[in-house]
Amino acid sequence: MKRGAVWVGLVVLVTSNLVAQGDPRSRLAGRVPPAVAAAVSLLVDSAQARGLPAGPLVDKALEGVVKGVAPDRIVPAVRGVLQQLDAAATALRTAGGPRAGDDAVEAGAFALDAGLTAGDVGEIARAADRSYPTAVALQVAGLLAALGVPRPETVGLVRATIRSGRPLGDLVNLPSQVQAAMAGGSPPAAAAAGLERAAAAHQAPRPRAQGKGQGNPHKP
Amino acid sequence: MNETFDPQVKQVLDGERASSELPPSLRAEGEAARRLLAAVDRSEVALSPHLDTRVMAVVRRHAASPRYRAWRWLTAPSVPPWVVGALAAAAIALVLIRSVPDGAPVVAVPAPAAPESVYVKFVLFAADARRVALAGTFNRWDPATTPLTRAGAPGVWTVTVALPVGQHQYAFVVDGQQWIPDPAAPSIDDGFGRKNSVVSVSAGQGRIL
Repeated sequence: MKRGAVWVGLVVLVTSNLVAQGDPRSRLAGRVPPAVAAAVSLLVDSAQARGLPAGPLVDKALEGVVKGVAPDRIVPAVRGVLQQLDAAATALRTAGGPRAGDDAVEAGAFALDAGLTAGDVGEIARAADRSYPTAVALQVAGLLAALGVPRPETVGLVRATIRSGRPLGDLVNLPSQVQAAMAGGSPPAAAAAGLERAAAAHQAPRPRAQGKGQGNPHKP
Repeated sequence: MNETFDPQVKQVLDGERASSELPPSLRAEGEAARRLLAAVDRSEVALSPHLDTRVMAVVRRHAASPRYRAWRWLTAPSVPPWVVGALAAAAIALVLIRSVPDGAPVVAVPAPAAPESVYVKFVLFAADARRVALAGTFNRWDPATTPLTRAGAPGVWTVTVALPVGQHQYAFVVDGQQWIPDPAAPSIDDGFGRKNSVVSVSAGQGRIL
């Protein structure tokens, strides 16, 4: 057998590795102007080097092209997404706990986009701990903020609901409950405050003797 | 030397004809060629007795360099089949490992037929619209893939889409030009001066909002 086969093996190894990684840059081909694609590719490199999800960067570039946005405005928007992801990942790292997955980082970036601070993201992540999915808690918080609930009430409502030990469904339903109250004429802050009081009233003591999250029936 | 001689002059140099047989126009060239030939040093060249040793020393030094040996190993014939087999196995293992999401254990588990998704119904009231589409992160922002259809009531457009679990941003595209957020959903800045609506779906919980 020729040693050329070794070269073939090496090429297969490298190629299969790239394919397996599902490089999100492949989605840019033919859909984004070359200059934008080159700039976004560098930002994707940067995201991957920092262990951040790169898919949202490509999504934002595609969004800009489809919406007819000028190329010189697309790249700054993509860079903004990268910065939000980086800030979210830093906040989650600072909060401690298990390594945040891509979904948690993306949810954290969304919460930041919606108006929460890095401190808020960290506080919600700490509250969720291992009992509730961090990504879901952050998505709910981001949605509350996007509905117009002020930061303190958003964090307070999510934290109180988690501490109450209620089922995950109750946490997930918070935005629709706030929206229903708003439809009835209640301001977002008042709607959230009312729900927070209700959650605090039903707050269950957290088990101390067991390990983190081990006694919670809502652990995913 | 790039000088070339006439073929007849070359015949003289080769002894195939006498210089007197050259035509008058070539005699000067024939004379020049003869002088050149006479100037050649035909004495024997004496090579150094150590030449072979020196040449072989250089060759052996070159052959002993790690870079050259690595190159020879890769390009020379005859690789044991197990080397190629090991490389192929490594490639397959790498593909399997990298296909697993970050943080997930590398274990064999029954995979679902499709990622968990939730049906979400989108509704827009657009009385004057001729066509409405839905574009978002779930369809790569391609309005052509998800058109809305007219519902029973006049001006009401709807579409039901299976969305994977997670959070998605989207907007309606009216008449192929106008991007408008969903009035029934929260929205955030899209980074381009417009608004995107947000929908989150959770496993087993359905749509968050």
